[in-house]
Amino acid sequence: MSAANNSQWLQAAFNDPVLDAQTSFRSALKALAEPGLAQPLNRALALGNLHPATYALCLAFLDGDTPLWLAPCFDTPAIRANLSFHCGCPVVAEREEALFALLDEAGADDLSAFDNGSERYPDQSCTLLIQLDTLTGGEQLRWRGPGIKDVRAVELPLRPRFWQQRQARSAFPRGLDAFFAAGEQVIGLPRSTHVLLNAEEAA
Amino acid sequence: MNRNLLHSDPQIATRQRWMGVLARAGTGLMTYEAALKEAEYSLIRAPEIGMTLVRGRMGGTGSPFNLGEMSVTRCVVRLIDGSTGYSYVAGRDKQHAELAALADAHLQGPEQQHWLSLMIEPLAADQQRQQAAKAAETATTQVEFFTLVRGED
Repeated sequence: MSAANNSQWLQAAFNDPVLDAQTSFRSALKALAEPGLAQPLNRALALGNLHPATYALCLAFLDGDTPLWLAPCFDTPAIRANLSFHCGCPVVAEREEALFALLDEAGADDLSAFDNGSERYPDQSCTLLIQLDTLTGGEQLRWRGPGIKDVRAVELPLRPRFWQQRQARSAFPRGLDAFFAAGEQVIGLPRSTHVLLNAEEAA
Repeated sequence: MNRNLLHSDPQIATRQRWMGVLARAGTGLMTYEAALKEAEYSLIRAPEIGMTLVRGRMGGTGSPFNLGEMSVTRCVVRLIDGSTGYSYVAGRDKQHAELAALADAHLQGPEQQHWLSLMIEPLAADQQRQQAAKAAETATTQVEFFTLVRGED
């Protein structure tokens, strides 16, 4: 009778499942196509401590074929019940098995063991969905790469540890793609984007 | 209905029974629409139409094979008192699915007996009558095959 026990946590997802999922997916695609530019993502309501944008990403991306790894702060009965009800995604305990990872700011400091794909199938890497309190106000870094004309200044409030970890896990075409969600906005960071850390900037 | 298909837990078996009656009720549920929609409710999963694979076993015991796909409509509602009702019905009738989910939610509440006697018993009796009528109609077309003994040694 686990369904009966879980049903108290359920809440409605997208108003219009087809149109809202398409719109959210489109926003996510645009976010990856133009790294560093915030895209609107407001088709879902907040779910527990998941912001609307984060929940919309989950609803648009996850299904029965996408094992999900949850950071401890998102591993609540409400989030588990709603994601398995609306998306049907299996929640896995091992990072290696996950195709998506739902992280908070603290979780973004440790990217170890997430699958960054293989030379033959770099597309099978784990995609990081990282929820931040805000998408601005951090140290200003300059991003360069496909989808960016010259350089773009982005001020994500992330600790240096994240950038070190990302660089360590990146060996193109292998690497980790990330989405940063806050409130009703999302910023994409594909593996192809080169982030100029301050030391390089000076050089 | 085959007793073996029901769950051993009587509570689950009771719910299985009313879920089955509701799923077969079709337009019969429209009679109760006003009563079912009296309490405020919200849609957790609005009625949606999908496909499901029907599998069968040859002779009921053989290894399973894929019979084909059928359309189903499913719906989940939450009543204002917090009880959650589910429905899966054959076909593409969204209203039927929504009413069946509402009925399931009401049947799990404190007024279960009221709803059972108001809705499930008449619907079940109706369905049994229809089934019996159909069986009787089919029975008239039954053909008995037999072979005459031929005069061979």
